[in-house]
Order: sequence, then C-alpha cells, then structure tokens
Amino acid sequence: MTSKWWANENFWRKSAVWVTASMTLVLILLTFDTIPKISVGSERVPAYSVINQRIDYVFNKERNFQVPVIGQAQPLFGNTLNEEEAEALVTWGKKITQGRNCMNCHTLLGNGAYYAPDLTKAWLDPAWGDSSTRESMMVNFLMDPVSNYMNDSGRKMPNMNISEQEAQAIIAFLKWMSSIDTNGFPYNFKPIDQEG
Amino acid sequence: MIDPVEMQDFFAAFFSGALVIVFGAIYALFLAWGRLRGSRNFIAAAYGVYALLVIAVLVLAEAMHFDGFWNLITVVMLVGYLLAPHGIWLLSRDTHNEAEAKFNSD
Amino acid sequence: MLGVLDNNNLNGGQKLAVKYFSVAVILFVAQILFGLIAGMQFIMPDLFFNVLDFNVTRMVHINAMVVWLLMGFMGSIYWLLEDEAGVETVGLKLGNLAFWLLTSAVTVVVLVYLFIQVGPGDDFTRWFVNEGREYIEAPRWADIGIVVCMLIFFYNAAATFMKGRWSGISGVLILDLVALAGIYLAGMFYTTNISVDQFWWWWVIHLWVEATWEVLVGCIMAWGLIKLLGARRQIVTTWLYIEVALMFGSGILGLGHHYFWIGTPEYWLSIGGFFSALEPVPLVAMVVHSVYDSGAHKFKAANHPAMAWLIAHTFGNFFGAGVWGFMHTLPQINLYTHGTQWTASHGHLAFFGAYATIVIAVFYIAVQQWRGGVWMSGGLAGNGWKWKWALGLLNGGVLGMTMALLIAGYEQSFIERAIEGSTWQGYFVAQVHPWFIQGMNWRMVFGVVTAMGIVLLVWDLLTIGKGENRAKQEV
Repeated sequence: MTSKWWANENFWRKSAVWVTASMTLVLILLTFDTIPKISVGSERVPAYSVINQRIDYVFNKERNFQVPVIGQAQPLFGNTLNEEEAEALVTWGKKITQGRNCMNCHTLLGNGAYYAPDLTKAWLDPAWGDSSTRESMMVNFLMDPVSNYMNDSGRKMPNMNISEQEAQAIIAFLKWMSSIDTNGFPYNFKPIDQEG
Repeated sequence: MIDPVEMQDFFAAFFSGALVIVFGAIYALFLAWGRLRGSRNFIAAAYGVYALLVIAVLVLAEAMHFDGFWNLITVVMLVGYLLAPHGIWLLSRDTHNEAEAKFNSD
Repeated sequence: MLGVLDNNNLNGGQKLAVKYFSVAVILFVAQILFGLIAGMQFIMPDLFFNVLDFNVTRMVHINAMVVWLLMGFMGSIYWLLEDEAGVETVGLKLGNLAFWLLTSAVTVVVLVYLFIQVGPGDDFTRWFVNEGREYIEAPRWADIGIVVCMLIFFYNAAATFMKGRWSGISGVLILDLVALAGIYLAGMFYTTNISVDQFWWWWVIHLWVEATWEVLVGCIMAWGLIKLLGARRQIVTTWLYIEVALMFGSGILGLGHHYFWIGTPEYWLSIGGFFSALEPVPLVAMVVHSVYDSGAHKFKAANHPAMAWLIAHTFGNFFGAGVWGFMHTLPQINLYTHGTQWTASHGHLAFFGAYATIVIAVFYIAVQQWRGGVWMSGGLAGNGWKWKWALGLLNGGVLGMTMALLIAGYEQSFIERAIEGSTWQGYFVAQVHPWFIQGMNWRMVFGVVTAMGIVLLVWDLLTIGKGENRAKQEV
C-alpha cells in the first residue's frame, strides 16, 4: 500500500483550480495585449477611412508572407469620405452582411461556411478584371448575382435583394476588410491588376 | 516566423501529424498492457512504437520547416509523448491504491 | 411495472430531464434532415434555390446541433441532480417553466430562420431575425432568453446541491456552468471591427466546445461510471480533477489556434502552435488509464447500449479531436486548410465523437430507468439488433462523411490554395475537380447511412425494454 501525495484527491483538486486560474489569467493578460493591437486605427487593423486609399497585398520578405500595403488615394466610388462617414458606411456594410447571413455560405477571414468563396480579399480578387472595372462589376454582381455569376460549378448566389446603396456599403466593408493584416492568409494570393 | 509547408510535402505533413497521435496512443496502450500483465514483450513493443513516433515527429518537423522557437514543439512532443503515459500509469496505480487503502480501513 | 414507460419511475428532476431529451432527439433528427438537404445542395445546386438556400439549411443544420447537445447536457444534469445531491430538485416549477420557454424560443427562432430568413442591415434584423454569425446566429432576443433559461437551470442545480450534499462532481459541475454561461455573454454584442468580432466569437465557440463542454461531459461521464460500472467515487473524482487540470491546462490557451489569421498579432502563431501540439498529449496518455481500469477490474455493465456508446465516445473523441484536429492545426499547414472542407471533416467527427455519443449514452440510461429499471445487458429481445445497427450505422455514416470531406479538403488545399493562390477562380476550379465532386457524392451516401442510423436509433429508444420482465443487472 502506497499513499503518495501526488496521487491524492486533495492535491488534484488544488491543481485543477490553480491550473485553470493561471491559464485564465494568462488568457486575460494576452487579451489585454491583443485588443489594442486589433483595434480600428491600429497597425494591423487600419482606420475605416482606409477605403479612400489603394490597398495592395505584397510579399514581405522579413515576415515571409504577403501583407496589406496601403498606397496613394483611390477613393471608393469617387467619394473621399471623412473618418466618421467611412465608419458609418463600413458599419452599414457589415450589418448587411450579417443580416443577409453571408457567413453561412461564404467565409470571412476564413471562418464561416464552405459553399462559396472566401471574402477576406474579395476586394483584391482578379475576378473583377482590373481596378477600372472592379467597382461597377462588384455592384452589378451584388445586385443581380444570378445573371452575373461566373463559375461553372452550377452554384449561384441567390438574389439577396441588395440595393445599389447597400451594395456600395458592402463593398466598403470588403475593401476595409482586405486591409487587415491576417498574417499571410490567404497564402500565395494573386491580387487584381491595379495598374490599369 | 513561420515557413509554410511546400506543396510536395503536404502528404508528409498531414500523414506524419496523424501518425504522431496514433503512434502515441499505441505506445501508451502497449506500455499499459505490458505493465498490467508484467509482459516484457509488450514493453519492448511499446518502445518500438515510440521509435516510430520519433520518426513521425521528425518527418513532421522537417515538413513544417521547424526552426528557432518551433524546435521547442518538437522537443515537447518527443518528451511529452514519452513521459505522459508513464505519469498516467503511476497515477492510475497510486490513485487506486490510495482509494483502496482508505476503503479497507473504513 | 417493469417494461412500461411510466413517469412514476422517475424522480422530479428526471421527469424534467426526459422532456429535455425528447426535444433533443427531435432536434437531432432535424439536424440530420437539414444536413442531408445542405449536402445535396453541393451536388444539385438548384435544389430549393431561392426557397431554402444553402445559408438557411446549413444554419439550421449547425444550430440544431448546438441546441440538441445543449438540451441533452441540461437534461443529463437534471437527470443526475437528485441522485447526486440526495434531495429533491429545488425550484422545479421554475425549471419546468424554463424548459417551455426555451423550447418555444427555439421553435420561434427556427420558424423565423425558415420563413423570414434574412433582413436589412439594421439593428432590428440582429435583434429579431438573424445575427448572421456562424453558430450563434440566434437573434439577440433569443440570446437573452437563453441566458435567462440558463440562469434558472443554474439556480436549480446550485440550490439543490446547496440544500443537499456537495460532491467533487457537483463542485466541478457548478463552476463549469458558471463559466459556460459567462462565456456566452462574450458573443452578445455588435462591433463593426471584424477582427474584434471574431476574437470574442471564438471565446464562445472554442471555450465552449474545447473547454467547458469537455468538462461538463467529464462530470456526466464520472457520474455515469459510478452508476453504470459501480466505479468507486473517490477514484472517479480524483480523475475528474486530473482531467480538468489537463484539459483546461492545454485547452484554454489552445484558443490560440483560432487566432492565426483573423488580424491578431503574430505571437498567436507560436502560442496556438505550442498548445495545439500539447492538447493531444493528455488525450493520448489517458489511454493508459482506460487500459488500467478495464484490466484491473472485471466490470459488469447494467446497460450495454449505453456502455457501447461510451466506448464510441472514447474512440470518437480520440480520432475526431485528437487525430483530425492535430493533422491540420499547426499554422504552417493550417494556412492551406483554414476555411476548406478540412474543417468540415474535423467538425463532423469531433462533434459527433466527443458529444453526440455521450448524450446518446445518457438517453439509454434514461430509457432504462423510465421503464422501471429493466434489463439492458446481454440477451435483449432480437439480440438487441436495433441498438447495434443504430450504433453501427451512425458511427459508420459519420466516419464515412468524415473521410469523404477529408478527400475534398485535401484536394482544396492543393488546387485552390497552393496552386491557384486562393482566388475566387481558384476556389471554383477546386470545387469542380473530380476529387471534390466524388467527395461530395460519397459524403451524401454516408449522410444517408447516418440518416438510416438515426431512424433506427429513435425506433430503438422508443421500444427498447418494452415488455421486458427482467430487472436490470446489479453492478
């Protein structure tokens, strides 16, 4: 008969409490560190007014993957918005994507459903031709996806009754989302030609 | 910094990852069985499986381009899978003894 | 009388438990039904187009799963409550009210999902139609309703233990329920910042599924081992503590593997990678304990179907969470698999293996008692073919779907991600690849196998032990 302290119920009760408490504490500390780093206007998550500028996705040798690069002025739909207006537009766009339940077909930042393409870099996707055709193609697609679909899988996006204003708001949200530094996800991405 | 897996190494990455877990479990199974039955053959077989686990971990580390900090993960896997089953064995034996001793003296 | 479903065979908490179990079974059937439709839409994209689109069928599929498992857990707690506390359930009337509240809320939410589906981008939509965030789509009013019901549930459990006696199991259980309810609040606010949105969203999803649910199941399992196998309480309790230490020790920061690509800092790659490598170690080491337990004692099981489902749980958890999780979790490979059918493959096996199995085991324990404590060991009527086939079909079906989705995901990581560079065109090139199409076809075949399994399971739960006149085997 051995009776070792470390095989004892009491010891493990205390261990369970201490392990849980310390891991929770570490998570809380990390959360305090992370939240400011992913707040809007931080280095990783740019301010909403970034939609006034050109966004590229360029390979960074030091970090060994592509990162978003914010370039010169490139106003969305020709309108330069101030910070407040940009926030209002992106907010409306995100609320529309939630209200239309986009995430149960698409993924955003890779999370969601797998029935339709990822939207993380939708703004930079070469499917929109080049930067001169992109905005109008995106609006047309969102307003009438059934007659503008472009794949041969037989899958079509249903018409979600999106108005032109709503489409513009969604695109503002997508453009802003494409500027988030996602540690190289999606990898090996081939962005749209923006020189045209 | 991470160095993503090369496309030609995908299979090695997925398969060795799965094998690490599977070999870990078989090692634990043989070890426990050998101890329980007092069978030297099972114990020997357990370490044989552990040797396979080492190979799987090294293949995984190679495919994943582990470097710097990531080498720590290789070490954690090698040591963790080797020692954790021993720890659980000792706990199994002694928690049961402890409870039985108390039960008998009640 | 033996062999007859009779509420007199149940204590107060158990009467409420079987209500929860009944709704859980209905939702389980709904989950599979909508899963079949969603799976079919991959093969026939025009199926219910503009009527019941994929985003609706898939949402009902995953929401029905979350709710039936949750109701199964709640039922299980009500089931063991009086037995564990040694007194009658406190506040049972309130508990019954909460049951009806929750059930009607779920009904309304599902009807709105099916018939209203979507709304404009305003606050009304998020409060009353659909929040549009995967797994927690339930509109805000329902969130609040769920929290109220959970609080009543918590009150029932805590007050009963306080009036009666505490045990190690009930202590862990109550603390876990506090965490479970508290974490849900992290998903109950709106923010435009999608990085912050998903940061907290993962607190709900991960810390439920990979932490608090695991511990809840550990508590139910601990109680089940005492009841089913006559295991000694002190040993079971010690091991519950060991499990809590190991699971929370590796699982809480395992959250890091969801923080690779959502905008969060690069150090999460290291934290997530490290704890992902650590998470399977306890799972694997526990094999030793299972062997020790089954070798050191000769157990007689009073309920063979429940026992078989508990064994299925052990294997399902090991393969679904352990093997399937680890295969694609390190960031170096997850970069190619994140957001592909890999995740679906892992999700199917892990949710089923870790959670569905154990709730089904409790269903069998409940039915046995409901029929007056009938015999459910060897030599059942018809040699127990129904439960055996249900077990085989459900496990085989889910495993088959998992393999089919794995092949589709494997192809996606090559074609869509590595070669095509993750563009929309790359996505569709991968979707029409023969491996993907074959994968979706086989998933459908095994989906039908799973559906046959659930039909048999429901039939068996309704009939097992009927007319049986032997009392259950003593352990």
